[in-house]
Amino acid sequence: MLTTGNDVLLVPDRERILQAMADCCAENGYAGTTVEAVLERAGVEPQSFENHFAGKEDCALAALNKIVSETLARISMTASDAAGAVERRKYEGKAILELMAARPSFAKLGFIESRQGGTEQMHGAYESAARVLALMMERLGGTGGSGSTARAALGGAEAVIRRELAADRAAGLPQLLPDFVYAVLVPFVGQGEALRQAKLAARVAAEEG
Amino acid sequence: MDAQQRETLLRAMLTELVGKGYGDASVERAREAAGVGAAEFEAEFDGKDECLFAAYDYLTERVVERASADCDQADPWPDRVRVGLESLLQAVAAYPEMARALTRAFPGIRPAAYERYVSLLSRFVPVMSEGRQYSGVEDELPGEVELLAVGAAEAIIFGEVDAGRAERLPGMLPEILFSVLVPFMGPDRAADEMRSAAAAT
Repeated sequence: MLTTGNDVLLVPDRERILQAMADCCAENGYAGTTVEAVLERAGVEPQSFENHFAGKEDCALAALNKIVSETLARISMTASDAAGAVERRKYEGKAILELMAARPSFAKLGFIESRQGGTEQMHGAYESAARVLALMMERLGGTGGSGSTARAALGGAEAVIRRELAADRAAGLPQLLPDFVYAVLVPFVGQGEALRQAKLAARVAAEEG
Repeated sequence: MDAQQRETLLRAMLTELVGKGYGDASVERAREAAGVGAAEFEAEFDGKDECLFAAYDYLTERVVERASADCDQADPWPDRVRVGLESLLQAVAAYPEMARALTRAFPGIRPAAYERYVSLLSRFVPVMSEGRQYSGVEDELPGEVELLAVGAAEAIIFGEVDAGRAERLPGMLPEILFSVLVPFMGPDRAADEMRSAAAAT
């Protein structure tokens, strides 16, 4: 928690506001979140909020950008260590799930509020990120399905993530790596190979993050 | 209020939600559309929220009933999924406004409303469970394979409804069926089912 104790003095206002925005949205939804509640939670003055953000939506978009940027950074870091495309997807999945487990409020903002609860601009940011991930999946190669196969495979994994986030079980997300690896691989590499990779993913999930 | 008025009221509340947003959705306008007086409304609901949640529950029951009714008649399992999915896609295409209420307007109200949406998706898990036996690799499938399949269909349906293209969904049955079946059957067998569905459409 960034807004209590001595930590308050160490964390810049902007970061405290973004964390408070994510926390408020996680508890009350974007629609039920007010700037006043964010200020109170962050422990900052209105002037400080106005110095950083044009308003509530601007602040929520900044929080959303923060988690998307962190996710992409983690993905790019892990990708360089892994050999083939399948191997990379496994480690990318691990990185994403570990990040969501560590930042549950931001994860809710990214996976739930921006998709179904926020403004059109937040929704657009979610759609853009989803398209990038689907394009990454499509690089895995041919499928007997169609153009929507990658989006659907990711959608399956996202449905499980959202259910866990809504039930406040983000901490357990990294253990679901085998399920996610299977979901995103099976349309592209076949069932036998996807099952084999899912078993290997159980070992990857057990590795230190 | 009689059953017909209640149904009209609940649909009108969802129309208000989609058209005006949660903050501006008007109980008064919904009451007028249904011919329900203020006293009658207050005898049944505490306020806008209770009415909206009742409306959502009513709508989800209709959706699940419709998808399940035809599905229960079909055999084998992939045909059951195809028939249920076909009914669902036709309903979504016929009532795009209600579909938007179901997928976006209501779940976005607040976390308690979103939990209703999660519950709706979970209603489709039992019919997916039958796919484990049909897969031939029952013991090896991941623990979440049913929700992976439901979520795959949801992602496509949500995207089309949200983009205002709900009318396209019945024509997308083959590719959605592929995405639902592939976690259980693998891409080759799922593609066979997709081609059969395309031929029958």
